[in-house]
Amino acid sequence: MRESGRALWLGKKVWSFLVSLLVLSVVVFWVSRLAPGDPLVSYYGDRVQKMSPQERQWAQEKLGLDEPIPVQYLSWLRRGIQGDFGISYKYKTDALRVVRMRMGNTLVLGGLGFVLIFVLSILLGVFCAWHEDSLGDRIITGVGTVTSCIPEFWLSLVLILVFSVFLGWLPSSGAYSVEKGGGFSDRAIHLILPVTVVVISHLWYYAYMMRNKILEEVSMDYVLLARSKGLGRGKVLFCHCLPGALPSYLSMMAISVPHVMGGTYIVETVFSYPGLGTLAYESARYKDYNLLMLLSILSGAVVILCNMAAQAVNEKIDPRLKAREPAKDWEVRGL
Amino acid sequence: MRDRFEIVGIRPQPEPSPKARAEGKRKKPVPALFLLGLIAAGCLACETIMTRDPSYMDLKNCNVPPGGQFFFGTDTMGRDIFSMIWYGGRVSLLIGIAGAAVSAFIGVIYGAASGWAPSWLDRLMMRSVEILLGVPDLLLLILLQAVLGEANVWTLSLVIGVTGWFGIAKVVRTEVRQIRDSEYVAAARCMGGGFFYVLVRHLLPNFVPSLMFMVVMNIRSGIAAESTLSFLGLGLPLSVVSWGSMLSLAEKALLTRSWWVILIPGIFLVTTLFCITSLGNELRKRGNRRESNL
Repeated sequence: MRESGRALWLGKKVWSFLVSLLVLSVVVFWVSRLAPGDPLVSYYGDRVQKMSPQERQWAQEKLGLDEPIPVQYLSWLRRGIQGDFGISYKYKTDALRVVRMRMGNTLVLGGLGFVLIFVLSILLGVFCAWHEDSLGDRIITGVGTVTSCIPEFWLSLVLILVFSVFLGWLPSSGAYSVEKGGGFSDRAIHLILPVTVVVISHLWYYAYMMRNKILEEVSMDYVLLARSKGLGRGKVLFCHCLPGALPSYLSMMAISVPHVMGGTYIVETVFSYPGLGTLAYESARYKDYNLLMLLSILSGAVVILCNMAAQAVNEKIDPRLKAREPAKDWEVRGL
Repeated sequence: MRDRFEIVGIRPQPEPSPKARAEGKRKKPVPALFLLGLIAAGCLACETIMTRDPSYMDLKNCNVPPGGQFFFGTDTMGRDIFSMIWYGGRVSLLIGIAGAAVSAFIGVIYGAASGWAPSWLDRLMMRSVEILLGVPDLLLLILLQAVLGEANVWTLSLVIGVTGWFGIAKVVRTEVRQIRDSEYVAAARCMGGGFFYVLVRHLLPNFVPSLMFMVVMNIRSGIAAESTLSFLGLGLPLSVVSWGSMLSLAEKALLTRSWWVILIPGIFLVTTLFCITSLGNELRKRGNRRESNL
């Protein structure tokens, strides 16, 4: 019985994931087409202004923009299911290919940032909780609160100002320099500033969360019991409190993925870093519909997946949220 | 407390340790409140502080570094930064507060309705919030802004408010779901209290502390969103002075090495955000302080 219960649970999750994506795609499709602006400009550039009405008509038919929106949506959906997301008007090739070309850069930037945030925030949080209210904790808390208040774009500007303009140590834009051909060290140098911004602007939020979670754990009665049995402080902290704090922290980190992703989008734009962020910004500004749709669906899928993961973790921890609802019979049988 | 032997059975009333008492005094964010008050007062009374017209372009004095004539220098268009700071701060603060008000209103109503609703409707409502959360903030802001057309202070506040209520709705919904089956809510309903009556009289007081924190944080993120959008050229145009639109000249300032154009508005922005954050943290901390057993 347990096997079938689990399969059913998985099926439900997949089903709601697909429905969410579908609704998301409808919303983005409609809103982007409601927005004023001419998608032909991104395909033909300035030539659009010189086009005769007939030429415009022909161009719109060619790009499939002359039909009513629901028809356009349905044909987009039909092709999308087969893996064809249309062409990007600006780059004039497959939208999927454009995204694939840029995706690596964003994954490197965002992934590196995420891993650093994850590791550093646990370390910082544990350190601060261990030395609660000591000088070190107070300094870190103060500095951390200030850094979490700095908007990403301004931090990027200041870092560029200091390290590129005045000191001239680090490059201010791009993912690699053309003359050096983009070797590993070249790319690494270009990554330093963007990754720093991504990490600094998110780190303290999660480190502080970790600190408070551990402080919460530390005030529980079981800690008193463990201590009175003679366990050392370190042992209690690392073997009892940290595992207790981790699940809710993990669910927080799952929700953080979209935040970090949104952060990289802004950072990419400031640093002209060729990733999905700059692409999303361009496509929304210049009405590159197909590209915009693909990017929204991708980011949406990531976010929904992360939320589901967080929710699953939470439901396991706090059964109160679920217990209020009448138990489904498959859940009862699943026991 | 530190005696080697303790009488078991009778719990001695824990008197507040000197450390905790000292902390109670220290944690009051007086400097933050003072700074925030100073900035807000300066922005409100900008007419008396300003030394020049903030929108006047003095083309003979472009990119003048800070000095006697221009306290904070002038930007690449020859406008006096000192005057713009106060004048633009008004706009930035206003957008933050208006955006937070919009998001709090929508969030409380939606969250309470969802928590109150039967479970299928609740699930539907929460699922749609998650879908909306699924659109990256920046994309949502760009799209909404594009639909509303040319940005001004009010459409921008509206857009920021409309994209900022999901978190509040989720918190309110969770709180409502945890309280709604308690006896006093049932009693109120038995006596004929409607949805809004129960919401205002019984539910709202329960989550006002966490709500206050989120609203204050929304003011902060509203101000940050305004500056980010205006910096990217998607928010307020250059002609409407705000801290964000002042920073949209940053790219040019990088080329001319005029650091004051970037640093000064940013420092005001970050100081304000920091003060608001300490205020919010104080609101959250109040009352849930526990002693460590470690």
